[in-house]
Amino acid sequence: MKPLLSITALACAFLLAACADPSRSRALGDPKVPGQALAEQVCSNCHGQRGLSSSENFPHLAAQQADYIDAQLRSLRAKRRHDPAGAVYMWGIARDLTDAQIAQLAAYYAAQPAAAGRVEALQDPRVGKQLFTAGLAERGLPACASCHGDQGQGNGAIPRLAHQQRAYLLRQLAVLSMSPDERPLGAVMNAVAHQLHEDDIRALADYIATM
Amino acid sequence: MHELLARTRTRLALAYRRPIALLVAVVAAAHALPASAIPVFNRQTGQNCQACHAGGQYPELTPYGRMFKLTGYTIGSRTSIPLAMMAVASVSSVRNTSKSDDPSADFSKNNNVVLASASVFAGGRITDNVGAFLQYTYDPYASQDASGKYHGHAAADNMDIRYADRLVGSSHDLVLGVSANNNPSVADPWNTVAAWMQYVPVPSPSSSQFIDGASPYPGYGTGGNTSGLTAYAFLDERLYLEAGAYRTTRGVLAFMKLGQPTSELTRLQGNAPYVRGALNFAWGASTLMIGGATMSSHVYDDPAVADPTTLHRFRDSSIDAQYQWLLDPHALTLQAVATRQQHRYPGFLAGQIPAFVDAHGNALSPSSQSDVLRLLRARASYTWRATYGGSASYFDLSGTANTLNQSSGYDPLSGTITTASSAAAPSTRVNGNLTGNPRTTGETLEAYWLPWQNLRIGAQYTFYQRFNGSARNYDGFGRNASDNDSLFVYAWFAY
Repeated sequence: MKPLLSITALACAFLLAACADPSRSRALGDPKVPGQALAEQVCSNCHGQRGLSSSENFPHLAAQQADYIDAQLRSLRAKRRHDPAGAVYMWGIARDLTDAQIAQLAAYYAAQPAAAGRVEALQDPRVGKQLFTAGLAERGLPACASCHGDQGQGNGAIPRLAHQQRAYLLRQLAVLSMSPDERPLGAVMNAVAHQLHEDDIRALADYIATM
Repeated sequence: MHELLARTRTRLALAYRRPIALLVAVVAAAHALPASAIPVFNRQTGQNCQACHAGGQYPELTPYGRMFKLTGYTIGSRTSIPLAMMAVASVSSVRNTSKSDDPSADFSKNNNVVLASASVFAGGRITDNVGAFLQYTYDPYASQDASGKYHGHAAADNMDIRYADRLVGSSHDLVLGVSANNNPSVADPWNTVAAWMQYVPVPSPSSSQFIDGASPYPGYGTGGNTSGLTAYAFLDERLYLEAGAYRTTRGVLAFMKLGQPTSELTRLQGNAPYVRGALNFAWGASTLMIGGATMSSHVYDDPAVADPTTLHRFRDSSIDAQYQWLLDPHALTLQAVATRQQHRYPGFLAGQIPAFVDAHGNALSPSSQSDVLRLLRARASYTWRATYGGSASYFDLSGTANTLNQSSGYDPLSGTITTASSAAAPSTRVNGNLTGNPRTTGETLEAYWLPWQNLRIGAQYTFYQRFNGSARNYDGFGRNASDNDSLFVYAWFAY
């Protein structure tokens, strides 16, 4: 009798599982799963709930420009963006997303409150602030703010930078400077990033992370 | 140290010329396989190994890997063929094989390239909430017959089938789940628990009996061949709680002991409760876990006979901690676990006069009613770009001395320490214990290379300061702990 009870219990468990709610699904190949469910159930494992990442290995997505997220997810889905971090973590995640899910994810993160709280500066903010707000005329470097906004808030396909994870910024500036083909959508940044010295990159990342 | 390194290099140059050539051939052959050759979870998520495994080294999990496991292996798309395999080819060498009266039997695979083990995995996402990790392992050296010939055997290895749900509210994030598994702590997402605090690969100890994989590791008195149901919760990725119970494997979970001979099973009286708690902290690129676990079990001496007078009573407890700093391309991990096991013996084993006598022919002390074993194990590892890495670890097993644990001693008839089968109390060579003290201490150093994500080539060297209670002459035949120092070179491949 006992095996029968066990089998019945197991069958009930599977039936219960079959009645799963798409709003709590982790299926990446199911177009019925809404973007918010994917954000909460899957993306949050690296980018944090509501897009606030707890690891500086991964970017904050909260308050990011929807057009930027949309374009990046499409680029990752098509494997056109192939910087190491993008390929390792994101190719699989983006692989089966539908256009609608990408749009929902972009809208979800754009609507979340931006990262807040004090981030400890590692160096004198004046160098980074100068580069961000005024650029460096002698090297022909434009101000970051001229495209990314005075507050680093981004604009459409140009990403929000303010309060972004420092280590993520360092890595991406290195990619945009040294291997621009790995992020084809960021090609416009190559000419700028290539002019940045290592000290400039550190100063900029530090300033932006503390904005 | 220089002398030791020189000795190691010379031995590598001479003893391993052919074996290394064979390992190189294995690598070259594997290189010919398509780059998409990746195991089942990778196929399901489309992600690289290093998304879930720190520095790409199995089995240590990243924070993402922990959430993948706790949410029931359900992230991704169900694969059409949910199977994967892994195999290990290795060669090992013990420092001294001369102190044995039958080296060809005791070290029969020394310096030989062997297929050390092979596993088949099934699992991954089954439904939105149900997933599995099922491992079935072939050990080519599972047993040895009277002529010394080895016989291979395939049997159930770690298995974990779970139901999980994740409730995300405006201020809290709660993962809830239930796991049916066959090894206490195998459901745990951290790698300092008994089931996962290990170097991989771990080949059959029969073929490589003193390598790190055969050195002391945490383990529950209940053993690994039981089955149980545990429920767990992970709140805000901060507080982890798991509780459940294990029983003798039978009924609907009988597949979890598939292929295991009765002699290898653990037969439990009733339920053996298991409780685990951990706190997890994340900041910057760091995560820190501090936790503990406890288990109580009553184990029949003979798994074939449920005789209540033969019960061993175990109470295990442990504290463990794991720190990870994962910032591409770096993966640094520090791990430590301290365990305590109290073992109360059944009446027929306690208070017994041992067959051995002392050097003067006097009877030894009666065997103890109970023993306490303590194990400290710590490890630091670093991997760069999920390609090159190394680690160092320390182990220290200590506990009460007990004449019950003596497997070497003076024979009352001859007054000598002898392995002769005609002796009233024959001793055990090489693995013998002359003192009844369990103390075994040592370190392991490892360097490894992952030319791509499903191939790992490594070399480990394990040093022993004490073995079976002594630094010198631990088996009564003059064998010293350092004679067991072992080099282990392996190629691990997964598909």
